[in-house]
Amino acid sequence: MIQSVGSSGSTGSGPPDLGDILKKLMSGGSPKKAGMGVTSVVVLALLAWAALSSFYTVQPEQRAVTKRFGEVVGITDPGLHFKIPFGIDEVQLVATERVLKQEFGFRTADTREAGRTTYSSGEFEDESLMLTGDLNMIDVEWVVQYRIADPIKFLYAMREPTRTLRDISESVMRRIVGNMLGSEVLTVGRVEIQQIAGDEIQSIMDRYDAGIRVSTVEMQDVVPPPAVQPAFNEVNEARQERERMINEAQKRVNSEIPNAQGAALRTVAEAEGYATERVNRAEGESVRFSAVLREYREAPEVTRSRLYLETLNEVLPTIGQVLVVQEGQVGPLPLLDVNRNGERRAKGGES
Amino acid sequence: MKSIALAIVAVLALLLGSLTFYTLDEAKQAIVVQFGEPIGDVISEPGLKIKMPWQNVRFFDKRLLVWDGDVTQIPTLGREFILVDATARWRITDPLLFLTSVRDESGARTRLDDIIDSVVRDMVSSTELEEIVRSKDWEVDVEELEDPSLAERGDVNLEKQPKLGRELLEAGILERARDSMPALGVELQDVRIKRVNYIESVRRQVESRMIAERQSIAERFRSEGRGRSQEVLGNMERDLRRIRSEAAREAEEIRGNADAEATRIYGAAFGADPEFYSFFRTLESYRALGENSTLMLGADSDFFRYLEQSQVE
Repeated sequence: MIQSVGSSGSTGSGPPDLGDILKKLMSGGSPKKAGMGVTSVVVLALLAWAALSSFYTVQPEQRAVTKRFGEVVGITDPGLHFKIPFGIDEVQLVATERVLKQEFGFRTADTREAGRTTYSSGEFEDESLMLTGDLNMIDVEWVVQYRIADPIKFLYAMREPTRTLRDISESVMRRIVGNMLGSEVLTVGRVEIQQIAGDEIQSIMDRYDAGIRVSTVEMQDVVPPPAVQPAFNEVNEARQERERMINEAQKRVNSEIPNAQGAALRTVAEAEGYATERVNRAEGESVRFSAVLREYREAPEVTRSRLYLETLNEVLPTIGQVLVVQEGQVGPLPLLDVNRNGERRAKGGES
Repeated sequence: MKSIALAIVAVLALLLGSLTFYTLDEAKQAIVVQFGEPIGDVISEPGLKIKMPWQNVRFFDKRLLVWDGDVTQIPTLGREFILVDATARWRITDPLLFLTSVRDESGARTRLDDIIDSVVRDMVSSTELEEIVRSKDWEVDVEELEDPSLAERGDVNLEKQPKLGRELLEAGILERARDSMPALGVELQDVRIKRVNYIESVRRQVESRMIAERQSIAERFRSEGRGRSQEVLGNMERDLRRIRSEAAREAEEIRGNADAEATRIYGAAFGADPEFYSFFRTLESYRALGENSTLMLGADSDFFRYLEQSQVE
């Protein structure tokens, strides 16, 4: 991101020409003629070198810090600019508009493959492994995005500002994670950590006057150490299992309660049916009885006998055995045994 | 010949110029040295400068510099071995003193290594691990833990408020390092603990502890699941019994009311002539007799009497 332009120009074209000139001087020929040639060649070479090294371009995302005799004299915006050659003016290009990124715990390995980015994180465990407040370990990967806000400060306040930013980011992240419980870091703490870390890194870099503006701190993968991960998965499974068990019980409830409610309604409805039937029958029987009673009262004796005989007449054909018991006699006297004889003619003539 | 002379003069002039003039970069400060002896004040304003041709110039960086320590294994007060990686920032504040005491940056670095490493070692080994990891405002709500039983850990006191915490520890290291630093012409800006980790063997122990911790949480979840399931089923059983018994009660009530109503109706009707009712009802029950039942008639009963009479006739 920083290129030094002035010095490369000065070493590029000068010395080889001088060597050639010396060779020419040694190899003979008329000294005077050679002298004239040497002067013109030297002057031409100097002119060409001056012309080539007096212009520089600044790309749109860059700013150039110009120095004259080592002293900073200004910042130039994108475009083509003039400078004094021969190493008097020096230009340092700084990409101020670009958002730069530092990765912790992993590195973006390949972004060329269309739209796909591969990451490698295996060998950066040292960066990502840290201790939480409950003295457990956790593997945190994060990204710090920043911009060079002040190119002069960026170049001249610290010798290694980007390396410092790395160190400070690691230190701050570990402080914050160390001040939280592992479970918090894994779940709810991410946003809070990003916020605090960004502020804290910025305030420290400001104290160094490093000219760096931290735009975001983004947490990437936050996971327990590899050896512990199966146990964490087991917890998740157990949590699922808990839900499953509760759901299964609930399912049984859902299958039984409505059924029982229906059955209850049925029981009640049946009882109501019984009630209706019972009352209706009672009423019917009462009405019948009352009607018969009314007739009976007209002629009690006759009706009584008639009813009795009618009933017997109806009943006897279906009766298996009729016994007549005489008072004072020991055994009952069988009168009729119609069914046993298969004979059903047991009717008297008194109907 | 003339041009050769000219060339020689030009070369000499250039040589003299390069010996007399020097540029001081924005990032640098310089001391002019004459025959090994520093002359004059520190030059810190950048630009084109002049010196005598026989004088040398020593340049020193003016900017904030980085010191990065090695990873060192240090036991804490609680005898846990941890790996500590510290980093510091410093600058050359007095180039004259710097030049005489340590000569150059690598000389300064070795001195800084000695001082900072030993201070970090002293401070860490007299501090509990919690103090190094946590900050001053450490706070844990035991009630809100994933599993409250985790708060009762033998090796770690979760609620212990650090006396110092990470920031004050770092401030203490800086202070002690500054105090024990001889006059080198450098100023230490800050010292920070970059990384703290367990050594390999402790790490394995911690991992197995974490595994056990997780397994206990998992077990709790499972048992919670079983418990909740029992609870739900128990509630269901209660509800079922309530529903069924309520229905039964209601049914009995309805039946009872109906029976009472029927009784009242019968009573009202049959009460008109109880004697006839018994007769009438008896006849009814005869009708209800099934096949194969045996009818016993008294010899003096009406039916038999008529039968006898008819036989006699």
